[in-house]
Amino acid sequence: MISNNPRLASFLEHYGIVVIVVVMMVLLYASRPDVFLTLANLTNIIKQNASLALLALGMFVVIVTAGIDLSVGSVMALAMMCLAVAAKAGVPWPIVILIGPAVGIACGLVNGFGLTILRLPHPFIMTLGTLNVARGLSSLITNGAPVSGLGPQVRYLGQANYDFGIFPPPTGLPASLFVVVICAAALWFFLNRTSLGRHIFAIGGNPHAARVSGINVDRVLVYVYAISGFFAGLAGLLLAGRTDSGFPLAGQNAELDAIAAVIIGGASFFGGRGTILGVLAGVLIMGLMRNGLNLNNISPFWQQILIGLVIILAVYIDVIRRRAAVRT
Amino acid sequence: MKRLILASTALAMMMGSTLAADKFLVDMKGPGAGNPFWAAVEAGAMEKGKELGVEVVVMSPPAESDVAAQIAQIEDMITQGLAGIALAPTDPNALAPVVDAAKAKNIPVVFVDTKGTNEGITFIGTDNAAGAKLAADYICGKIEKGSEVAILQGIITQSTGQARATGAKSGLEGCGLKVVAEQTGEWDRAKGQAAMENIITGNPNIKAVFASNDNMALGAVEALKSAGKLADVMVVGFDANPDAAASVLAGEMTATVAQAPKNMGGFGIQALVDLKAGKTIEAVIDTGTVLVDKSNAEQYK
Repeated sequence: MISNNPRLASFLEHYGIVVIVVVMMVLLYASRPDVFLTLANLTNIIKQNASLALLALGMFVVIVTAGIDLSVGSVMALAMMCLAVAAKAGVPWPIVILIGPAVGIACGLVNGFGLTILRLPHPFIMTLGTLNVARGLSSLITNGAPVSGLGPQVRYLGQANYDFGIFPPPTGLPASLFVVVICAAALWFFLNRTSLGRHIFAIGGNPHAARVSGINVDRVLVYVYAISGFFAGLAGLLLAGRTDSGFPLAGQNAELDAIAAVIIGGASFFGGRGTILGVLAGVLIMGLMRNGLNLNNISPFWQQILIGLVIILAVYIDVIRRRAAVRT
Repeated sequence: MKRLILASTALAMMMGSTLAADKFLVDMKGPGAGNPFWAAVEAGAMEKGKELGVEVVVMSPPAESDVAAQIAQIEDMITQGLAGIALAPTDPNALAPVVDAAKAKNIPVVFVDTKGTNEGITFIGTDNAAGAKLAADYICGKIEKGSEVAILQGIITQSTGQARATGAKSGLEGCGLKVVAEQTGEWDRAKGQAAMENIITGNPNIKAVFASNDNMALGAVEALKSAGKLADVMVVGFDANPDAAASVLAGEMTATVAQAPKNMGGFGIQALVDLKAGKTIEAVIDTGTVLVDKSNAEQYK
């Protein structure tokens, strides 16, 4: 029915995701006109979803190659624990803030080499392994205890607010927003304007053709998982800053949220297709949904149900527009 | 020759384990090392074992969610021969069959910390609803009647989460406060912080929040700090973990509720030894709760 209307399909092709975001914002505003559009609430949505946005950016790069990285939630926790312990041990802060991304990259390299050197048949398996290893290590570091009190410099990216002289304190734009925007812009440039980035899309679109045309697929994949690890480590730094704490159970099931955000954002699970803007919209949709349900004091069980339905709806829209594209 | 020695040591080990008739198993939800709560349960059980001259073995699955690992552990221990099991079930329904299997072998079982579903088995632990009520009463004594308050729930499909949430709610409403928001932080610091940010945005007039555990209470403190409202909203947690005690001493959290995990381990072993000796024990043994504020937080650090 809908799928037979080419004009509607073409509209959805370009703006479907934006329509969902706008409709959600209107609904939320209608439900809590006193609160939803306040600066405090909007910055809450940003702060609460900055880590997810970073995880989703990393996951996006992996999904573009038709891969999957199940380890990101655990890697985030491991990075968080490592930097928290280092901060408490008196390591200077410039090193501490590098530890998060460094741990992430190291885990990503393990994933990448496991795939390409051990030749495990699917990234699902390798990263399922590192999901468990990283989660175990996170708990092992302090035997499961959380570590609090990281110091203002370490917390900066996750906690600072800029009021720009216009926002009444304590409100302002969170530093984590700028981290996400800068990362998204850098990733966009990397994927669209460098040869390595184009190779990543090529591998996802058709790995065989990519190989034949001389792309070193293994090398590219190692980069891809290292990038995902990097974003997970950076997400750990933000979350540690935000909560002033490292805790080993952080980010449980965060990989599923990240995958959901990427898929809702229109990326193909079979690789080769998707946009950074779509990913950010996907994160925003999940964040808006949770925020709206929380503001209206609705049971968290409904949140799960709705997220599930939105995943299905988003992919259905994708199916419609693919059908339309085939026809024209 | 070498092989013979190996075989005989293996045989001796197997026989040794089947002969250990007075070995009591404490199977906890999570590893004791590092987690102060389970560490205290472990310490209480070990001390009591030493005092009574029985062997105590403490085990746990690697994570609280690893139900299958806990079942397997208990099955393995039962086949080796046990004098009794003090069990903190990760999932009461899932653990019920293995508890029945132990009973069928006449191995005494008690539940510690979390009540199981099996009939006729003593539960030794905190009355969580009573503990939450203790926190609610404390809040009631500190703020004006009719004030708006909020509750951060744990995972409410778990009995502990359910008991703390309902105990706090009935306590707060019972003394004339208005519970305007109840949200879950799933026991997690970051999720508790996010829930609290949403609560204070939607309900700017709240005067107090009861968090069903200290992790979420500490998250709530961070949320209030960044909103500049920590001075206006009182935060009371549950568990009295060391970070929370430090926060209470620093004047950020106002209070928390301490369980007595050491009692759980100690009372658990005592109950098993009594059962083994053919005595009868109470169906529920409360290990007690204590309100912790600035006056007594030092001892929980």
